[in-house]
Amino acid sequence: MSSLLRPLAAALAAEALKLRRTVALRMCLVTPAVVVTLCVLQFGLTELKVGQSGAEAWKGFAGASFALWAFLMMPLFVTLEAALLAGIEHSDRQWKHLLALPVPRAAHYLAKWVALTVLVFGTALVFVGLIALGGWALMQMRSDTGLAGWPPWWWLLRRCTGMVAAGLFMATIQLWVAIRWSSFTIAVAAGMSATVAGFIVGQSRFGRFYPWSMPVQLFAKSGEHATFAIVASIFGAAVVLAFSVWEFSRREFE
Amino acid sequence: MHAIETHSLSKRFPGGFGVHELDLAVPPGSIYGFLGPNGAGKTTTIRLLLSLLKPSGGAIRIFGEALTARSRRALANVGALVESPSLYGHLTGRENLEVTRRLIAAAHRRVADVLQLVELAGDADRLVRTYSLGMRQRLALALALLGEPRILILDEPTNGLDPAGIQELRALLRQLIAERGITVFLSSHLLTEIEQMATHQMAMHQMEMHLGVLDRGRMLFQGTLAELRRRAPPRLLIECDDVARATRELDAAGETVTADGSGQLVVALAERTSAQINRLLVERGVGVARLAPDDASLETLFLALTRGEAARP
Repeated sequence: MSSLLRPLAAALAAEALKLRRTVALRMCLVTPAVVVTLCVLQFGLTELKVGQSGAEAWKGFAGASFALWAFLMMPLFVTLEAALLAGIEHSDRQWKHLLALPVPRAAHYLAKWVALTVLVFGTALVFVGLIALGGWALMQMRSDTGLAGWPPWWWLLRRCTGMVAAGLFMATIQLWVAIRWSSFTIAVAAGMSATVAGFIVGQSRFGRFYPWSMPVQLFAKSGEHATFAIVASIFGAAVVLAFSVWEFSRREFE
Repeated sequence: MHAIETHSLSKRFPGGFGVHELDLAVPPGSIYGFLGPNGAGKTTTIRLLLSLLKPSGGAIRIFGEALTARSRRALANVGALVESPSLYGHLTGRENLEVTRRLIAAAHRRVADVLQLVELAGDADRLVRTYSLGMRQRLALALALLGEPRILILDEPTNGLDPAGIQELRALLRQLIAERGITVFLSSHLLTEIEQMATHQMAMHQMEMHLGVLDRGRMLFQGTLAELRRRAPPRLLIECDDVARATRELDAAGETVTADGSGQLVVALAERTSAQINRLLVERGVGVARLAPDDASLETLFLALTRGEAARP
């Protein structure tokens, strides 16, 4: 395992450079901005519950934003990011160059997985920052929103971290699909289909077992399945990741 | 110790063999021309040598070190360019090199060194998507050289290049061989490409060109260019005033004679020397305008081998 750490660190440094000027990186700002903007508009244009405390109003606004992100945008974002990250290598058949280097194949795959996880977590942090900014904008737009004081940072960060952990299973599956098949369409179609299926499965009693619906479990039904979703996601991600690395290490590149 | 050595290397695909029991022996410091028609198994062999494909059987050693799925250290000696260049279009030339430099932990100065070598230093900070095909090929060669490999494996490196690009690449490879003593394993179906490279090197450095000729996954010949030439029977080219009569007379004298379609006769030399054949024709009233030995080109030898006309090793 220790013999993998040095090449993994090298592969991660290479991944960081490859991300320069990519759509994958720009989407990390664009997608959370779209969701927060929609939520600001929704709160800015609709009747609001009056008489809430500032903290409750913040949680109401942030919770609605998180729910939209976790239910719809996060699965689509993960689909897109996984396809774009894999596409960097598929586009000009870079695998045949990378895999002819004296670097363990596992290092290349794990670096992609870490890059995707960091992008998803980084985007979730951007999302938290934009929620704070959106709340401040709402305060300026309407005085009756109840929003007051500082955002509940600790509450936001805990949910942000939990949501990313609950999305790991989905992200790991999505990355395997995107790397396994070189077609961008296959990767995106798989992710979109799974997300749409999540509309139905996610609202059923099986929702907590479905990888694409696990993140939203943190916000559905007062979060009663949140712990299960996080633990199951981490376990599922570990199993799928182990399989993916094994499969990638054995694969032939023609 | 050979630069590349394979023993009974085989790769079986669902439709049949890709390559069958190859015993490659590439001497260090040589230019090794790996020849074969399209579909002969050249690219499959190269992918096996780079660990992109798993062998169905056999073993590979690079500078004495075994290359297996578990041990890829031997690849540290190898720089490769397989078919078209694999580059990141959204990065600059320098950034492309930096990606590989980070992966193989090469020294920082190597990036500037190889940029200088392939004469791309002036364009290093342009996005690769704006590069011409020739520039892309040179950058791919720079990538292959980044880790200071002892052997360069080049698979059809001139594919898709215009004549100027081919000249540039050829000059660069010659420089590398001459100045750095690097072993070059060059696959091509363009026989003239290999022949031209061999001619220049042999003239400049008295180097011996080594060849492997592959057809339908099997090695038909492996040895030096001189050894290959020795396999071709000597032939005589004759231009004369009466082709039909000359053919009749030579046939009657027991010689094997063919017309090459351009009014020229080709005689396979066996018992008689060229002087004796000349005398025979003149004595029978045929005016001989030109009589010359046919130094078989690599193309002729190659075609003879792949059609099974020449003796196998």
